[in-house]
This record gives sequence, structure tokens and C-alpha cells, in this order.
Amino acid sequence: MSQINRITGGLVDRSRTMNFTFNGKSMQGYAGDTLASALLANGQVLVGRSFKYHRPRGILTDGSEEPNALVELRSGAAQEPNTRATVTELFDGLTAASQNHRGSLENDFMAITDLASPFLSAGFYYKTFMWPAAFWEKIYEPIIRKSAGLGRLSMQEDPDTYDKGFLHCDLLVIGAGPAGLSAALAAARSGARVILADEDFAPGGRLNSETYAVDGMSGTDWAAQAVAELTSMDNVRLMTRTTVYGAYDHGIYGALERCTDHLPGAGGKPRQVLWRIYSKRAVLAAGATERPIAFGNNDRPGIMLASAVRTYVNRFGVAPGKRVAVLTNNDDGWRTAHDLVAKGIAVTAVIDTRNGPAPLEVAGARHIRGAGVVDTAGRRALSRITLTDGQMIDTDCLAVSGGWNPAVHLTCHQQGRPVWNEQISAFVPGNILPAGMVVAGAANGALSLGAALAAGRDAANAQLSDLGFTAPDTAAPTAEDEGFSCEPKWHIPSGKKRAWVDFQNDVTVKDIRLSHREGFKSVEHLKRYTTTGMATDQGKTSNMSALAIMSECTGKSIPETGTTIFRPPYTPVPIGALAGRSRGKDFRPYRLTPSHEWATRHGATFVEVGNWLRAQWFVKGNENGWRDSVDREVLNTRNSVGICDVTTLGKIDIQGKDAAEFLNKVYANAFAKLAVGRVRYGIMLREDGICYDDGTTARMSENHFVMTTTTANAVLVFRRMEFARQCLFPDMDVHLISTTDAWAQFAVAGPNARKLLSKIVDADSQDMSNEAFPFMACGEVTVCGGTPGRLFRISFSGELAYEIAVPARYGNSLIEALMKAGEEFGACPYGTEALGVMRIEKGHAAGNELDGRTTAHMLGMGGMVSKKKDSIGKVLSQRPDMNRDDAERLVGFRPVDRSQKLIAGSHFLTKGDEATMANDQGWMTSVAWSPSLNHSVGLGFIKSGHTRMGEIVRAVSPVHNTEMDVEIVSAHFIDPEGERLRA
Amino acid sequence: MPDFTLISAPPLAGYNSSFGDIKLSAPKDLAIVSIALPLGGEDAAKAAITSAFGIDLPDTVGTSSPTKDGATSLMRLGADQAFVVFTSATPDAERQIAAKLNGTAYTTDQTDAWCSLEISGPGARRALERICPIDLHPDAFAVGALARTVMEHMGAIIARTGDDSFLLLSASSSAKSFLHAVELSARNVI
Repeated sequence: MSQINRITGGLVDRSRTMNFTFNGKSMQGYAGDTLASALLANGQVLVGRSFKYHRPRGILTDGSEEPNALVELRSGAAQEPNTRATVTELFDGLTAASQNHRGSLENDFMAITDLASPFLSAGFYYKTFMWPAAFWEKIYEPIIRKSAGLGRLSMQEDPDTYDKGFLHCDLLVIGAGPAGLSAALAAARSGARVILADEDFAPGGRLNSETYAVDGMSGTDWAAQAVAELTSMDNVRLMTRTTVYGAYDHGIYGALERCTDHLPGAGGKPRQVLWRIYSKRAVLAAGATERPIAFGNNDRPGIMLASAVRTYVNRFGVAPGKRVAVLTNNDDGWRTAHDLVAKGIAVTAVIDTRNGPAPLEVAGARHIRGAGVVDTAGRRALSRITLTDGQMIDTDCLAVSGGWNPAVHLTCHQQGRPVWNEQISAFVPGNILPAGMVVAGAANGALSLGAALAAGRDAANAQLSDLGFTAPDTAAPTAEDEGFSCEPKWHIPSGKKRAWVDFQNDVTVKDIRLSHREGFKSVEHLKRYTTTGMATDQGKTSNMSALAIMSECTGKSIPETGTTIFRPPYTPVPIGALAGRSRGKDFRPYRLTPSHEWATRHGATFVEVGNWLRAQWFVKGNENGWRDSVDREVLNTRNSVGICDVTTLGKIDIQGKDAAEFLNKVYANAFAKLAVGRVRYGIMLREDGICYDDGTTARMSENHFVMTTTTANAVLVFRRMEFARQCLFPDMDVHLISTTDAWAQFAVAGPNARKLLSKIVDADSQDMSNEAFPFMACGEVTVCGGTPGRLFRISFSGELAYEIAVPARYGNSLIEALMKAGEEFGACPYGTEALGVMRIEKGHAAGNELDGRTTAHMLGMGGMVSKKKDSIGKVLSQRPDMNRDDAERLVGFRPVDRSQKLIAGSHFLTKGDEATMANDQGWMTSVAWSPSLNHSVGLGFIKSGHTRMGEIVRAVSPVHNTEMDVEIVSAHFIDPEGERLRA
Repeated sequence: MPDFTLISAPPLAGYNSSFGDIKLSAPKDLAIVSIALPLGGEDAAKAAITSAFGIDLPDTVGTSSPTKDGATSLMRLGADQAFVVFTSATPDAERQIAAKLNGTAYTTDQTDAWCSLEISGPGARRALERICPIDLHPDAFAVGALARTVMEHMGAIIARTGDDSFLLLSASSSAKSFLHAVELSARNVI
């Protein structure tokens, strides 16, 4: 009984049989079939259940507009819901299952909802589930989600991979139907770089579905010949299985290529590739979509679009029925009957809603004019139709044609609105198109083959002459210009029978009328109230009818009623494809310091800082938790020596005769007079006077400076300085280049730092004595017997400290040398946590303090903003409100009860005040356990803090539900006089 | 004899792999020194470049010229910026170039700032399509063309070194991510 509906002809390859299953039932098809054509060949007319009422549904269309024939494709983790059978290429071993039923597809328990349909009208959920509000999330939504909806996700990780890419061309041709092929041929022959993309696996568009002749040969043969020529040309990229889903700025188009969806497995390759196509010009030849006519029970399996019937018969060699009836409002419907008869399929009747004479004689069929269909019968498939005059006709397939809608979608992605064309009763592209786009063929309303072929060629030639190409003098392909006459018929009054408009979301003519009655009259309200066009098919077969019915209700014309806005994507794009390869560890690039491998081997736990992975602490022995490691690292450093990889800090090489003057502009404090061989701490302000970064800059020679920025702001500072250099001070001779990655840099801190480094820095390159190389000195040195390096005597920890830099390639080797040299002092590596503890103990501001709100005045550095020179942000930093006496000032805090732990983010309140915003005195920015002092220490901003030393205030954190008394103290918990760092 | 000696270990040193018709390798000892042309001193700097390398600094930003012996390339990256790319195993690349230019231009050692990969073979362009937004068609990007761009969120420089070969530079700290990006592109297209 296999393939009972297979007939002769078509483009399928009968030598290659494909086995597949539907709901576990084994079936066979041929290479070149879609799942839909193979199901029809096997007599499987019932394919799924509808979204809301669980109505039996079949196959309506032959393309990406399909609202009904949605299946779960494949199984296990690869299972994909809502896959359109009409565009799923058949492969050997394909498994598909119908969706949205409980029990079998044939006997869906949930079909009972159909009986409740009088209650489930438009707006049902809005009206019914309003109260009690608390019920919505916990009770109503789960029930609704369970009973409605289509396919199910596998709930497993997507086993497939995806990729992205970039393509470039002179001319992008969207659609490889007659207009697209004609355009691509013209463009390709001129030598232009052409990309021709089509969502189908077989280029040709309607040529493969019709029986028209082109240039004296069959349209199918002509398409094959055109494709062969295009394929042979180096300047053409023919992309089948590729949907151009969006038109973006500047001629950029988004396209989804389905690379392996037609194969049993992806073979380790990306399943789909999301392309960005950069085109100089584009020809949109996306064709048109046939529209159904609404009438009573028009959703029964076996009722199909007439164009789809032709496709199944002509392209796939499948008879969608044995006794077919046609319902049409245009000449195309008659063409369907003609093609069916030519294939030996009985046509029982052609029912034309118009009154005119029959455009064609269809042998053996009754010609019924000025009539329509008002009802249908058949439990799981169509068996009979009832006409307006009450007569009944037995039929197992009804081909419906309500005219054609040009696929204007991509013309509207840049604010374009389509305009009404009375002649074809459809919207066609308006005057505002995405830059560089022209529209040709059926997409532009040219619905005949001859017109499409000519329009494609003309469009390409016009585009290419714009680009300076000369079109070869080849004639356009010729074909008959078959007539197309259409008289609009959106729906046929069918009494109380429900007439479906949006099949996928189960919206009927009655729902649209209800929407009108209840005041939701604008198309945008209509759409949202009834959910018309909001399913995954985006209303390709329903939007037009819905707004036409609304215009009948309002008495306005269709163009006055208008359309909803078309937005990308044209057809669904999997989230996986949008993510591309950005998954897992490689979601974003990561940056490693030169000592990363060494740190990994020595027990480091890493933290992400920007894209960097920095060692947070190093576990030693059987330390129990991070605090043990951090406390040890701090004490080890303060008592002897510790080493920290500080490579991540931004480094900017600044050179030029005006470099010093330039630094005076970008730093708030003075730099011009910094001596060669010295380093200075500086703060940078934004234009609005807020302090945004701090760091040190070393003067290596008269015209050469090396700047250090914070890790997080390295790129921002560079970008702002480059802006200042190019746009604000173009007359200055100053040049910037980032050297962040060029140098491996380590902080060596602690009382034994000098002794340790004396073993590393070559004695003949630098005298390490305090006199020769004091605090804030810098210089070029050599290390370990001649490797070039740089030495800076700067301290973030507050200890005697240096930073030593070598070319990054030596970084891993240098940390080993430093640790070896430090063995006799018990040197330890320390991570960012210990670094943080020590800077808090020392009262140094960092990112927590520079949070985009703080001024130099608040940081206690108001005096650093030099009055003697101009600098970025200086003027606005002088605004009175930014210099108030009662401004929050940076100070230190310690708990009155020393055993308590401070909590960052706590707000300060005067004792006795209620915890309200009005009483807010400031906030705690950074806290740490100080192993040096054996209690918790904190930094924070509090009003006039510098004048309130010793005062006890409350630190309140409503988030943590905590409150404690804290004492305001100096921010410098350790070595307030700075004796250690100058030692 | 110093107590310690340092060993050079650039991030992609020795990398060499093939994926179908695509070859991927890390050039050995590639040295990069940036040159900044002083404001007002451009002519003197260009003259010094010509006499130092035997070729003119390319006039067009986004192009590169090899010296006559092919050992060195001058890449024009900006109005006032160029890279000298050559082979040197020792960490004194900047000094070598500075000595040749004799103070007429500012130089900065960039060798360790970048990781480099050479991708070659008939499939190279097909692989690069997956990560490189630049149009690499020979009509748009001929031999000698170069561009600054972004690949997989990483800043990069791409230069066409032959009909089928490209030099890629990206930040050395993210060398592993960059290699992964290029390798995966090659794997995905073979």
C-alpha cells in the first residue's frame, strides 16, 4: 500500500527511495520529496491538531507559509518542534511526529475543547483569567500552557552546532524563481559578483510547480539550464536552502542557510549558518503567497491552496486527492483544474465565486459560477462540500484560490509600507524601500510568468548600470503572458459554521467581527486581541483576509484599514543559529596572563575580570576555604614578600614632543614637570567632572611615557585618549599605542621585595638602593642576564614594592625565577583577593569607589585637580554642588564590636535616625577582613566624613537585614605615614 | 653567570596544523615594531624609512609592501602609524628598528602584544568567511591589502600575503581564543 497517491512525473528521483516514519508508522518517499509531499503520497492527509481547538488539520500549502502541517522532527535531544512539513526535505531515516494531542493523532482527547469553542472566542483569556490576580502565574498560566500550544521542546541541550559568517556581493538576488533566475543571469553575465539565495532546495520557484514553457522548453528545464549556467560561473554564489530573513541598514541582509537539515546527521558540521550579506544592490524576487478563502469548516484536512495542489501534482508527482474540487475567485484556479485533468486526476467541480464565463474548459468537471462553499464534512479528512445553494459534492480534496499576495515583507523592514493595488486586490511594495533594493516579478505584483522574467532582467540591469557594469545584450527569456484576473472574495457567509482565517492560531471570521464589536478596530489591536498573524507563520496566509474582513466591519477601504508592520525574520530563525558558535567556554574570548599556566599548577582559583582570568587566591597545603589562603597571602606579603601578576592593568605607550603637555590635558593633576625616571599617580575626569579612572604614568624619557590604567578601563581610557588626541588636540605631536599584552608585569611587595629583586635585576643595569631607586622611580633595566625589562617602584599594597615587566613571552619564566629567588624569604604568590584586602587596609580607592558618581572632592583628592592648567573635566568639576562641604567623603570604617563583619553596600545612618532615604548619610563601598588588624575594615563615603573621625554611626543593610554600629576612622588602616613604601 | 635565565614562550609558538585544503601555522619569531610619524616630521621619517628598508612606506592606509628581499613588510595602518614586520628571535626588535630610523620616528615594540597565524590554501577564504567581516575577494582585497577588523569579538589585523594566504594578528593574551576561532572556522568548512 506504499505511496498510494504517487502518480507519474515530477522532479523526484524514483531511483532513490527514502524510508521514514510518521508517528512511528513506516513510510517511503523519494529523493526530492518534502515531508509533506511524501505524507500525501502515502495517503496521510491528517497531519496534526490545531493550536486552540485541537481540530484535525492537514497540509494547506507547499511552502514556508504553512500554518497547519507542523511536526516534531527527529527525536531525542535533536527533536525540533513546529517544523513545517512543507519545507522539510525528505531524508532516509527521517522521523516525524504530529503535535498537540493527548492520545493518538486520530483520537485526540483534547478535541473536547472544540465543543467548548463558543466560550473560547477572541479575548477569552483576557476576559476570563482576570481574577484573582495571584492565580495567574501559579494556576491559570500552567494550565493554559499545557492545553494549548504546539510542539514540545526536548528540554535537552541542543546537540547541534551552528555558525555565522559574512558574505559580500555586488548584487544579491533574493529568490530563485523566474524573476530571480532572470535577474541573476543578467547580472552574472555582466561580470558582477552575484549571490542568488532561495529558501527551497531546488531553485526554480513556481517554474517547478507549473507547466508553462520558457524559451520554447519546459519551465523546469529552463530553470535547470539557468542554474547550470550560474553554477558554472565563478562570480556567482548560488545558495539554496537559504532564507534571506531580514533587510537591515546599508544593504546588509540576514540569511539563514540550512546546511545539514536535509541529512540524517550533521556529521560534526554546523547544522545552520547565519550569514550577514553585505550587498551593494539587491533584487527582491521573493514571489507571492496564495491566500485562502474563508468559509464554513474550511480547515478540514484535504482543503489546500490551489497552487499547492499544482505543486504536489506537477513537481512531486503526488495526487492530493482522487476526486478534486476547485474553489476560486480568479483564473489561476482554473489552471489547477486543467493541470489535474492533464495528470488524469478527476475534477468534480470548479466553483468560481465570479459570474463571468469560464476562462478554460475543464473536461469532466462541473463549472459552477457565482457560487461558493459554505460547509464541509468528513471526520478526519474531507469527504463532502456544501455549496451556497445547498447542493453537496463528494470530494476528497478541495483546491482553494483566493488570489495572490506579493511577498512584500523585506520591503517593509526599513519603515516601508506597502500600497494597495486594485488590479490584483493585494498590497504591493511602496515607494520607500531599503536602500539599494528593487523588487521584481510577483513580489512586485507582476503575477504573470512573462512579466516576471522580463522584470527580473530589467531590475538587474538597472541595478548593475548604477554600479558601472555593462549589461550584455542578451534578450530576456520569453514565456506566455498568461492572463490573471481576480475578483476579491475574502470569505463566504456560512451561517453559524466557523470559518477559519488564521489556521495556526485558530482565529475565525467571527473572532474578527467580535474584535470589531468590542472596539479593537485598528489592525494592530485586531492582531493582538485575536492573535491573528502572531503564530510562527506570522500570518502569511491570514493577515490579508483578516484585515479585509475588518475593513468590511468598519466600512473603510482596505488601504484605509492598513496593514500591520512586517518585521524580521521572514521565517523562524532558531535561537541556536542566532547564538552561532558562542557557546560554553568559547561564549566570549578569554584573556590569559603570561603566568596563567604556572598559576594553574600552583593552586590558583581564577576570577573573570573583563575578559581576563586572574588568579584570585592560591590554595596551599590543606587550607580550608579561601579566607585561609587570602589571610596567609596578606600576612606573608606584609611580613616578608609576595608576588602578584598585574599584567592585566592597561598599558599605553605615549610618545611625542607634546606627550607631557597631552598628559596634562587628560589627567586632572599636573604631569608636564614629571622628571625622567619618575612615576606619578594621576586621576582622570570625564567631561562632566566625575572621576572615571586612576593609575600611574612613568616618564621613561623626555618624549616617552608609559601609562598604567585600571584593568577594567584599559580600553575605555585608550579610546578616550585617542579621541582627545585626534579630535581635541590635533595640533599636538603625540602618539598612542597599547602595550597591555606586550609586557608581563608582576608586583613584588613586602619588606623583602628589594632583596628578592636584587637577585633578578642585573646589577649592572640598575642600582637597587633606596637612594638610587627611591619610591616612585622607574627605569629600563635588564633581568636574569640581559633580558630587557622595566622596573617601577610603585605600591598598591602600601608595602615596599616594585612592579617588574619583561616582554610577555618571558612572563611564565619570570614568575618561576621570582619564586625561586624568593624561596629564601618564603615568598608567596598572591591573588586579587589579597590585593584587594591590602589596598583596603591601605585606603586606596579602586573600582568600588570609582563607580561613575564620585568626584575627586569626594575621594579626598579635590586638591589634585590642578587650578594652574586646563584639563578634561576640570571646568565642570568646579560646579558648586560637586564641592559641597557636606559631600560624601571617602573614609575608613571599623565595627565597634570588632568581632562583627562589615557589609559592603550598607548605608550609614546617624544613631537614632529612622532608616529612610531622607536620613541616608552615605554608603560602604569596600570591606575586607584585615588579617593584619584581626578585624573587619571598610571604606565608604559618608557626609563630611573627614570631619567626623571617631564618630559612631549605624551601618544598615536592608538587603541583608543587618545593622551594626561602626566607627569613622582614617581610610589608612596600615602605615598611615607611608614609611613602609619609602623604606 | 646569572642565577636565573628566562626562556621565551610565545603563546602559539610552534603551532602548525592542516584542515583539508587549509593550512594554519604560527610564523616563527615574528617581530613587530610600530612606527609613529611625528607631526610635522613626516617627510623626514618617510625618507629615513626609505633609506632604512629600501622601499617607501606605503602611501595608502590599509596596504603593505615587502622589502626587496621579502624579509620585512611595512604595513601602513593609519595616517601616522605603521608596523614593521620581520623575523627576529631576540627581544630587541624595537632597538633594531629605532637604530635604523635614527630618531626620525617614534617606535614601540609590539612583538609580544600580538599573536600571529598564517592561514593558507584554497580553502582559506572559505574559512575566513565565518569570522572575518572584511570582503576578501581578490578584487576587493588584493595581495598587499590589510585591514584592521574584529573577529569573534577580538580585534584583529588581516593582511593578504598571497593569492591564497593571509597573515592574521590578534591580541596575544587571547591567543587561545583566537586560535580556537580560526581553527573552528577551518574545521567547519572542510
